[in-house]
Amino acid sequence: MEIRIKGLTRDYFSEGKRIRALDNVDLTIPANRIFTLLGPSGCGKTTLLRCIVGLETPDAGEIAIGDEIVWSTEKRIFVPPEKRGLGMVFQTYAIWPHMTVFENVAYPLKCRNMPMEEIRTRVARFLEFVQLDGFENRPATKLSGGQQQRVALARALVAEPKVILFDEPLSNLDAKLREETRKELRRFLAGLNITAVYVTHDRVEALALSDLIAIMRAGRIVEVGDPKQIYFRSGDRFVADFIGRANLIKGKVAALDGSHAVIETDIGVIVGLNPRGIEPGTEAMLCVRPEFIKMAETGVAGGRNLFRGKIETLLFIGEAYEGEIRIGDTLITTTISPTVDVVEGGDIFLSFDTDHCFLLPA
Amino acid sequence: MARKSALTPALIVIVGFLTISPVVMLVAGSFSEGFGAFHGFTTAKYVEAYTDPELSAILLDTSIFTLGSAAVATLLALFLAYVNTRTDIPFKFFFGVISIIPMMIPHILFSVSWVLLLNPSNGILNRYLMGLFGLKEALFNIYSLPGMILVEGLLDLPIAYLIIAPAMSAFDVSLEESSRACGASALRTLTRVTLPVLRPAILASVILVIVKSLASFAVPSVIGTPGRIYVLATHIYRIIATGFSPDYGKAAAVGMSALVASILLVYLYRHLTSESDRYVTISSRGFKPALIDLKGAKYPLLGVIGLLSFVLIVLPVLVLLYTSMLPYIMVPDAKAFSLMSWKNWGEVLRDPISLLALKNSLMLGLFGATLGVILSIFVSYAIVKVRTAASGILESLSFLSFSFPGIVIGVGFMWFFVRTPLYATIWALLIGYIAAYLPYGIRPLSSAFVQIHSHLEESSRVCGAGPFTTLRRIVIPLLIPGIVSGWILMASMFLRELTLSVVLSRPGTEVLAVQILRFAEDGLWGRLSALGIIMIFISSALVVAASLLGKALTKW
Repeated sequence: MEIRIKGLTRDYFSEGKRIRALDNVDLTIPANRIFTLLGPSGCGKTTLLRCIVGLETPDAGEIAIGDEIVWSTEKRIFVPPEKRGLGMVFQTYAIWPHMTVFENVAYPLKCRNMPMEEIRTRVARFLEFVQLDGFENRPATKLSGGQQQRVALARALVAEPKVILFDEPLSNLDAKLREETRKELRRFLAGLNITAVYVTHDRVEALALSDLIAIMRAGRIVEVGDPKQIYFRSGDRFVADFIGRANLIKGKVAALDGSHAVIETDIGVIVGLNPRGIEPGTEAMLCVRPEFIKMAETGVAGGRNLFRGKIETLLFIGEAYEGEIRIGDTLITTTISPTVDVVEGGDIFLSFDTDHCFLLPA
Repeated sequence: MARKSALTPALIVIVGFLTISPVVMLVAGSFSEGFGAFHGFTTAKYVEAYTDPELSAILLDTSIFTLGSAAVATLLALFLAYVNTRTDIPFKFFFGVISIIPMMIPHILFSVSWVLLLNPSNGILNRYLMGLFGLKEALFNIYSLPGMILVEGLLDLPIAYLIIAPAMSAFDVSLEESSRACGASALRTLTRVTLPVLRPAILASVILVIVKSLASFAVPSVIGTPGRIYVLATHIYRIIATGFSPDYGKAAAVGMSALVASILLVYLYRHLTSESDRYVTISSRGFKPALIDLKGAKYPLLGVIGLLSFVLIVLPVLVLLYTSMLPYIMVPDAKAFSLMSWKNWGEVLRDPISLLALKNSLMLGLFGATLGVILSIFVSYAIVKVRTAASGILESLSFLSFSFPGIVIGVGFMWFFVRTPLYATIWALLIGYIAAYLPYGIRPLSSAFVQIHSHLEESSRVCGAGPFTTLRRIVIPLLIPGIVSGWILMASMFLRELTLSVVLSRPGTEVLAVQILRFAEDGLWGRLSALGIIMIFISSALVVAASLLGKALTKW
């Protein structure tokens, strides 16, 4: 089901000060996709999610889930959370400690007054789906973190909601389990015809899981796009920097060359993609990610996107060197193959991948 | 959400009525002519009350009694806490027992057992010692200020221990070690480092025991009154309960000073405990102090603690049980045992007033505690979970009655109830009990609420349960441990309630403690003891039943 949000505003009061958690947010979450709200802590992503669920009431705006308006300040509509027919997985999983696994998962069905026979078969089906069959009578407190997370997922799915919401569900798992669960979650959700709204501050999680990502900052949505768009063609320097490691170099567009543009920067002339069609003569920013900067053998003088620099720092991190290279006054971050013979203080030639540098508005 | 915002104001009205109305009525009453003439404004009662030539002696005795009790309780608590946390004494579970069990024995029965042992005319221990040493006069007279102080101090020991023991175990021993390393002697370290660091806890304990003993009625009435020693509580009681015409106006006027003193002390206590955070250094290293090896002192010390627990827990019950079988108080010997019978028990169980008191107290304990816990659930929920600006007001209101001396608040309620059809009904007692003991229910319940993460409720809402179903299916089951301890506390308080009841109880609404006080006043020790044992038995049975029920409910 599609979720449409219009003009949503929510203020907080903290120590007498007014803090705007959501600032006139307009957003459409398309049906049956995994949609992620990504942003640094305090950006309003959790508040937005809680407004959709109905656990928080906005100060202004409208929220519609499918054809039903569940919140409207203007029309004075408030549908309480239990009437919205959603599923949600909480950051703390919120598994009820006084119930067994079965009772936890059966709860939403009992609330819908489903006959006991049907509850049994449904719960069994969803426990099997999250690979927890046989755990029915286990007290919920006797489960590992990963298992609790799957109980929470089964409970959120069991009533077959049209929308499921996740509030940083992996942040309480340790790193290794988090990676595994991420994969699993993607597989679970891909097998269902369901709209999923997922909140996280972890960019890798967002990239790995999502069909679409909305990046939030200070109560506003800055950019919406699919993971590759956001990673490779972002139109916002905050987003470009937040979604992955990035070198952002300021300059002025000198000329256009088909889908590419030539930009004059402090370190020299760089050719990169110009997906936003920035006009010549305007200030712009060039973004190049470390993995698209290659070490060149020797300087072919005057070569395209080829720069000479000095290795300022060099960190060996196992799979690569992480280097900071000084070109003029600019520091460029890059990854260098760990087998190459390089030293701190040495000279190095760098080549920027023309098809993976991109321009964005300054 | 709209329902939530209506909850806190509604509770403020209820709790406000329970805690504020007796105070308002007390103030109004103190400025009026009397029950019959509740209009006009006069300071006559104040003039009468505070020009009473006896008052200065009463105030002096009150000060000695409260300060003395605070000293006894706090010193004992310091000793016990030190031995428990800092030495290698065996049987450490004893200390937990000593700090909790005396709360289970009603104060009036504890006081009576000491009267039975140490009264100057026929106290069992006095008689025994007179026989042993061939003395003409009794060695001890419990009907004295030291006697009152000893008994009250022992009764308030649990309160002092519960404040001092945590501070003692959180104490960073390296503070002492560095003092010793600087060349200070053990004694110097104790007086210059240990005690000053513990000062906030010690002061808090002293203040709280003063508040408790200022409100205490059992000890002053059972032990003080026969020795003609009056403190504020018994003075107020004398004004309303003896003589030709009870003077509730004068009682209110006298009560005002006890009330003001108590409120100031509790305010001071709050202030101290909020400051103590930065005073008591809690070791961040999770470091266990090296325990002092007691060596040869171990068993003598254990003996002292054993004796203390015997005196606090076993002796009162034993003395009462023994006395309940005898026609009059006597030293345990062959003659005494030959005279033993169930006669007192039979008389009590045939006595219509005792039976009525039993029925009333049971009803108040069971029904009153249930009502009190239900109110506490809503109040704690509003305080901990709803957290609007009004929650703070509700929180202050609900702990306010903690600083009201029972007898004073009883007088205030009397001024209120006499104008309502509730006067002289059991409902008057019920309302008074809940008002006075609300903090006992709210404390365990608010800590239970703190432990319930808001996500547990929110996920229930998202799962399709309304606010009411969420309360019933999620919140209440998780609250059951808190509910059970709140209920146990309230029920045992209600079952033994004396101070409010002596004011509010009327013919037809007698309760157990008041009936026991009547027996004490008439010197009917045998019947008193029988009824007392019944009271202890019911109280313990309720505790056991409630704990079992709680266990069964949490499993389900």
